[in-house]
Amino acid sequence: MRRAHALALTPLALMAMLAPWWLGWIAVAPNRLLSPRLAALPDTEPVTLAWAAFHVACLALLLAAWLPHRRRFEEVAAVAAMLALVATLGLGASAALPEGAPLARAAPAAGAWVALLVLALATAVAATLRGGTPTIPLLAAVVGTGLLGWAGLLDSLSLVREATGRAAELRAALGGHLFLSTSALLLALVVALPLSVLALARPGVEAGFLGAASGVQVIPSIALFGLLIAPLAALASSFPALREMGLGGIGPAPAVIGIAAYLLLPLGRGLLAGLRVAPADLLEAARGQGLSPRQVLWGVRVPLGAGVMLGALRLAAVQAVGLATLAALVGGGGLGTIVFQGVGQLASDLILLGVLPILALSLAADAALAALSRLLPSAA
Amino acid sequence: MIRFEDVSQRYGEVQAVRGVTFGVPSGVLCVLLGESGSGKSTLLRMVNRLIEPSGGRVLLQGQDVAGIDPQILRRGIGYVIQSVGLFPHRSVAENVATVPRLLGWDAARIAARVDKLLAMVGLEPGEYRARRPATLSGGQAQRVGLARALAADPPVLLMDEPFSALDPATRRGLQAELRRIHANMGKTILLVTHDVEEALALADRIAVMEAGRLVAEGPPLAVLGWETPASVRRMLGAETLAFHRLSALRAEDFALPGFAPGAPLLAAGGTMRDALLLMLTHGTDRAALAGEAARHLPLSAILAAP
Repeated sequence: MRRAHALALTPLALMAMLAPWWLGWIAVAPNRLLSPRLAALPDTEPVTLAWAAFHVACLALLLAAWLPHRRRFEEVAAVAAMLALVATLGLGASAALPEGAPLARAAPAAGAWVALLVLALATAVAATLRGGTPTIPLLAAVVGTGLLGWAGLLDSLSLVREATGRAAELRAALGGHLFLSTSALLLALVVALPLSVLALARPGVEAGFLGAASGVQVIPSIALFGLLIAPLAALASSFPALREMGLGGIGPAPAVIGIAAYLLLPLGRGLLAGLRVAPADLLEAARGQGLSPRQVLWGVRVPLGAGVMLGALRLAAVQAVGLATLAALVGGGGLGTIVFQGVGQLASDLILLGVLPILALSLAADAALAALSRLLPSAA
Repeated sequence: MIRFEDVSQRYGEVQAVRGVTFGVPSGVLCVLLGESGSGKSTLLRMVNRLIEPSGGRVLLQGQDVAGIDPQILRRGIGYVIQSVGLFPHRSVAENVATVPRLLGWDAARIAARVDKLLAMVGLEPGEYRARRPATLSGGQAQRVGLARALAADPPVLLMDEPFSALDPATRRGLQAELRRIHANMGKTILLVTHDVEEALALADRIAVMEAGRLVAEGPPLAVLGWETPASVRRMLGAETLAFHRLSALRAEDFALPGFAPGAPLLAAGGTMRDALLLMLTHGTDRAALAGEAARHLPLSAILAAP
């Protein structure tokens, strides 16, 4: 068992330590449009302290992997290494930017990114080998990075500069993204739930519903959003009341409907599987006691299938957050707006500024629904 | 109490029940005996409308069940099945309280009733009330199933192979429990089984089904005695029938007064079958009976038994 830890974590710890020296710590560009060039790590005292701390943490991770019985120590060391690396990058960036050049940008270089990814992987590996999940240590890394940013340590990184410069825009996009994904999820749920219940007794409904839901999956998402524009525009022009409610050919409406259409398959399949968890003889006993069909559904089928159904909801929620990125293409707003701006301007910081909150949102949705499913009473 | 009038059921090409007519008097434990596929379960489930007959009608207390709302009908009929079907996500007490809760009893009345029923089926309420079904043995689960069926004090109990999945010792214990409960509460019980021994241990009346038809119906001795219809004899086999008939007779009803020196002692309540086995084991031609007065049973009494 310890052998597995040592074998898996040793190369990761070594790679994290060496990657920044080999592929670079930070890159500096004169402005955001010119390509950045690798810069040496400045030789100031805080920077040296920070990278020394990073190496100490990596060595601790290495040591922990070889020592017997160090519960969670590996994960703590990996998270500490990540935070020390982030601090190194922030301090290094502020020291590396030339004086009197407000347009100059400093960003983490490839080596730093590789080290961060490898350390995150090491956290996940250690948690899995311990028999747990890496949610708490990874969350600690995210919160710790937030605290470093709040303390002003990361202000010189171009990503943070971009974020402060576009704070209002970012907030609006985040709100829009949340709105798009939750309304799409709710819409899909409103359609899938009654259809799943109907499909329980009628195989025809099941075949039609799941067939249509699968059919949607083969249409590329951008094409589906585009296809929805014409009918929705026609609908809005013939019913002005709908237009006043915000329905139109472009905007959030086609995006929400399109995303919901994609969610029907994972949601419908999962809900149906959940509703079928209760065994036939249990349902017969329930009917025999005089439970009405509605009481059988809510009192027996739903509680017994709740775990499976929440799993489907979890999958659909993560998918909704991802798909909402494409809403920007039909003027639906959301974090996709920032991502596509970044793509248009070839500005990788801008892309990251849009992508990182999307990642955080889907992680948060996943973790929240996972926590909810742990609250469910089990049969045992 | 329960009356089947020319009841038939067909599933497509298969005729599961063919023109069955008979009645179960009030307070009687009637066993529906037959091999699997004989239509006995189908017949049972027509009483609480889990299956609707395609011909004929089923009367409950003189009323056609087809005219009663199925949910109201079922809340008034206890129902026990082989796989028990306890709700795994609810405690033992909540399972027993299913029908009283559907009927809208208040919490105090339900709690008192649950405790009374658990005690009646031989489960200590304080110990079992809060347990989950997954923590129970098969026998304990079926005791809870029986308590759940009796919860709202229904006049009629339907039991579909209730003890078939249990090991022989547990099965005998629960059969005795059911007999005792039936004697105390006077419910009308219709019980389906394929086990002749179980039928004899429990039944006031036996109805034998074969290929969807009712081939015999009446008190156990009439059905399994000398006048057994040929079809029943064919179904059960001659030696099975002979032994089962003997096990329906109590030894003390045929005993003669007087000592039987050296004869093995038959336990109190033993049947004629037990007495015969005892004689075969010990190589004697008589058995002594336990009890105050000196009594014994000769082999000739067994041979002469009706």
